[in-house]
Order: sequence, then C-alpha cells, then structure tokens
Amino acid sequence: MTTTDLGLTIRRQSATPASGTNIRRDHSTPALEISKLVDIDLCIGCKACEVACKEWNDLQVEETHLFSGYQSHPDLTPHTWDLMRFNEVELAGGALAWLIRKDSCLHCEEPGCLLACPAPGAVIQYENGIVDFNQDACIGCQYCVSGCPFDIPRFDTVTKKVYKCTLCIDRVSTGLEPACVKACPTGAIRFGTKEDMLAYGNEKVEKLKARGFTEAMLYDPVGVGGLHMMYVVPRGEILEQYGLPVDPTVTAPTSFPSLIGALRKVGATASWAGLLAAAVYFLKTGKRYPPPEEEAVAAAYEKAPHG
Amino acid sequence: MAEVVTAEELAREHEPRLIIRHTFWVRVVHWWTTLTFLYLLLSGFALGYPRMAWLLDLMGGGQSVRFVHPWAGVGFTLGLIFMVAVWLPSMTFRSVDRHWFRNLGEYVRTGHTDTDTDKFNAGQKAYYWFSVVNGLVLLITGIPLWVPDLLPREWNLAARFSHHVFFLMAAGFLVVHVYLSTARFPGTFRSMTSGTVSRAWAAFHHPRWFRRVDAGREHEGAD
Repeated sequence: MTTTDLGLTIRRQSATPASGTNIRRDHSTPALEISKLVDIDLCIGCKACEVACKEWNDLQVEETHLFSGYQSHPDLTPHTWDLMRFNEVELAGGALAWLIRKDSCLHCEEPGCLLACPAPGAVIQYENGIVDFNQDACIGCQYCVSGCPFDIPRFDTVTKKVYKCTLCIDRVSTGLEPACVKACPTGAIRFGTKEDMLAYGNEKVEKLKARGFTEAMLYDPVGVGGLHMMYVVPRGEILEQYGLPVDPTVTAPTSFPSLIGALRKVGATASWAGLLAAAVYFLKTGKRYPPPEEEAVAAAYEKAPHG
Repeated sequence: MAEVVTAEELAREHEPRLIIRHTFWVRVVHWWTTLTFLYLLLSGFALGYPRMAWLLDLMGGGQSVRFVHPWAGVGFTLGLIFMVAVWLPSMTFRSVDRHWFRNLGEYVRTGHTDTDTDKFNAGQKAYYWFSVVNGLVLLITGIPLWVPDLLPREWNLAARFSHHVFFLMAAGFLVVHVYLSTARFPGTFRSMTSGTVSRAWAAFHHPRWFRRVDAGREHEGAD
C-alpha cells in the first residue's frame, strides 16, 4: 500500500539561496498540487468559515464593529486570517449587487511575500503550493506586507511578527480539508487538487455564462504564477469592486537580488583580486614610512618657509 | 590634583614635528559615524543578501538587527549633520579644485599633484559631498522601510530598491576612503587617533593649509 504524497516537501524558503534536495520524496512523480476554490456564486455570506478559522487556529476573538453592511470586522488583523468582505455596488443598469468575497491568503505560485523576505526560512512554500509563515524565523521587517499584491500579511505590534492564513497546513498534512472548507454550508469553498479545482472552476464559469453572467471568470492570475486559492467570480467586469486586483504582479524591485546576480559575481571577483593584489604588493615593498617624497617636500619647505 | 594634559598639548610639547589636523570633537564624531556606519553596513549586508544572513545571528538575531538598524541610521545622520556644520567652509569647492580634478590621473598614479591644496583636496571634498547626499538619500529611502504603513506598497518597493543601490555605492566608496587614508598614504590614519600629522605629511599633501597653520594664521586643527 502506498501513502498519498501530500506534497509536504519544502519547495522554497525565503532568503535561502538553494533548495535542498529531499531524499525522502520520490522525484519520479510530480508532487500533488492542492488548491482551494471559492465559488462566489454559491456564497451566502454566513461567515461560518471565519468562525471555523478562528476556532481551528485558536485565534483570539476580536470585537466586531457596527457599520453599514454585512461585514463583521473592518479588516484582516494578525488574529483574523479570514474575512468576508462585503461591498454594495450599483450595476450599469441601475440594479444593486451585493458582492461578498472570502478574503484570505491566496497562496500564490510566485509568492511576493516569500521573494521579498530577507529572513531565512521565515516564509516557506511547500511543493503542494501552500505558502506558510514561520514566526520563529520572522524578524518583523514587514517586507512581505509590501511584497504581497493582495494585502494579506498582517503585522502584530505586540509580537513584532507577521501572520496570515496557513491553508490549515496542519490539517492538510494529515489528509483533512482546511477548516473553512469543512465549515462551509453551501459548498462554496472547495478543496482538492489544483487540476480538479481548475476543472470545476472552468465548468462553473461556463454555467454562469449560460445563465447570463457573460463576464464570469475563474480568477487565477498569471502575474503571480497562478493561485492555490482561486475564485469563481460571476461579475468579472467589476473585479476591483470585489477587492481583487485585475493584474497582480510580483514587481521587479521585489526580486532585485536576482537582477544583480551577474554584477554580484563581478564585484566579488574584483574584491578578492584586489585584496590579493594588495597583499602581494605589501609583501613585496614593505611599509614605506616615512614616505621619502614627503620628506623631500618638507625639507624644501623648511629651507624657504611660507613661500 | 594633577593637571590634565590633553593629547594636543602633549603633541605640541614633545613632538614639535607634529601638528594637529583634527580636534578632539571632530575625531569623536568621525569615530561615531565610523562605528554606526560599520554597523549599518554589516547589518545591511545581512538583511539585503541571503548569503550574508548568517551575520544576523552574530549581531544579536534578526529581530534585534531589524530594531537597531534604523536607529543606527538616525545616529549616523546626527554625525553627518555635525560634519556638515563643522566642515562646510573647508569642504566648499574652490577654483583650485579644478586643477586637482584635471590632474586626477596623475594623483591616481603617483598619489600627488602640484595643486596648492588647502585643508582638503578636491577628492576629499567630492567624497564628503557624496557621503552627505548618499546619507540623506539612505535616510529618506529608509523611512518607508522602517515604517511600512506610511506609503503604498509600490513606494515601499521603490524605496527598497533605491536603498539597496545607494547602500552599494556607499560601501564601494568606503573601501576607497579607508584604503587612501591607511595603506595608500601612511601617516594619515593617526589624524583620526591622536589627531596629529607630521609636518612633512602636511607640507606634502596640504601645502596651503600647512602654510597657514605654520605661520600661525590659523589655530591648529580648527576643524
């Protein structure tokens, strides 16, 4: 009997030059890639996923705020990794639409947070696609906050570390679905292989189009290499009203170190060659002190001072 | 109570061939900027280059470095402000500096030009102004990295890019500065320890300044 490979080998770590080879995994078969999928069409905005996330991850309760709309908290926090964002918009024809979106980490294939992070091992990407923070290694610089195109990581001013959704890696690693998926009463949050989720998503988009949502789309942007939490968005024409960037990218400054990779080699070679040359020169000539040319100038001066 | 004798007075009495180039407070501030800059340099390498991240452990851990680095930057800037206040007159470019720049090739080859150099030569002035401008840029681009909530993320990323580029320039020119003031011109470094240089050194490198000091027209090492 073989056990299912859950793709828990580390693929990449922040600020770590080379990924180690892992002898435990059989590299002849590709690792399992997993994904969540949020079918916004099926979401009723009940916030069961928010509660389940708090409960499973043992996150402290935060006061809700009374403000217009159907949103429990104003924003994600270090203790709220999953938030149902609510937005009431007026459509082109004058009709109202209530846009509700589960906002949490999208587990990018090219994670801006991981590429921006300077602390070795503070951000980890597993082969199955999960991007997780290791708070023990986090130095609290918040580069990941700037690096993330989806504004997900949240800095805790008490612990001086950043937090976000782990895609319930502790559950996934034992073969369970994430807590939010388990709690969802309508099946709007799905979990499975990336392949299966793509198939479901594409099929659902076709159904939505047949129902008249002509701009329906599967949100899996290429600018970040694809996502491991995708959305089926019924009204793709107003993506930004859902709070989703139209074309998120991992921008060049984030990956600056790779940009100067060649320069780095030149600089290192020049530095070592310079040091070596200086050492050889010193051994050859010895210390010249006092320098004879200075003495000559000074002697001339003493003969005719203030000249 | 024993009379306190400063290093300057000792130098005057016992080593008549030495003159004061940098006074006590100038030396203190220069060492202040030296130490803060070295910390900034090493912690900057540790934070900016994954291969240098092991330095974080030697410097008290990543969280400590992330906390201290910005404050060291503020400390360095305070030293820089002092240097601007004290050295502004001596560091202003004069017409004689054009001659030095024209003979830059000769300076690189032989370490000397026939320029009638004052307290600082044109190269020193250029390095000084580079340091002031670079320090300012590093301070300004460092603020969004210190407090990321101030600006949109694109600005933070741009600030990080600029901080990186100017940091590399500062590191590169520091090597030149240290090399010239130690290995290339022996007898220079002591102006940062005891504050003195030999009369021969002064007459060779800074004849115009030396003549003024020697004629008593300027208090020794006024800046």
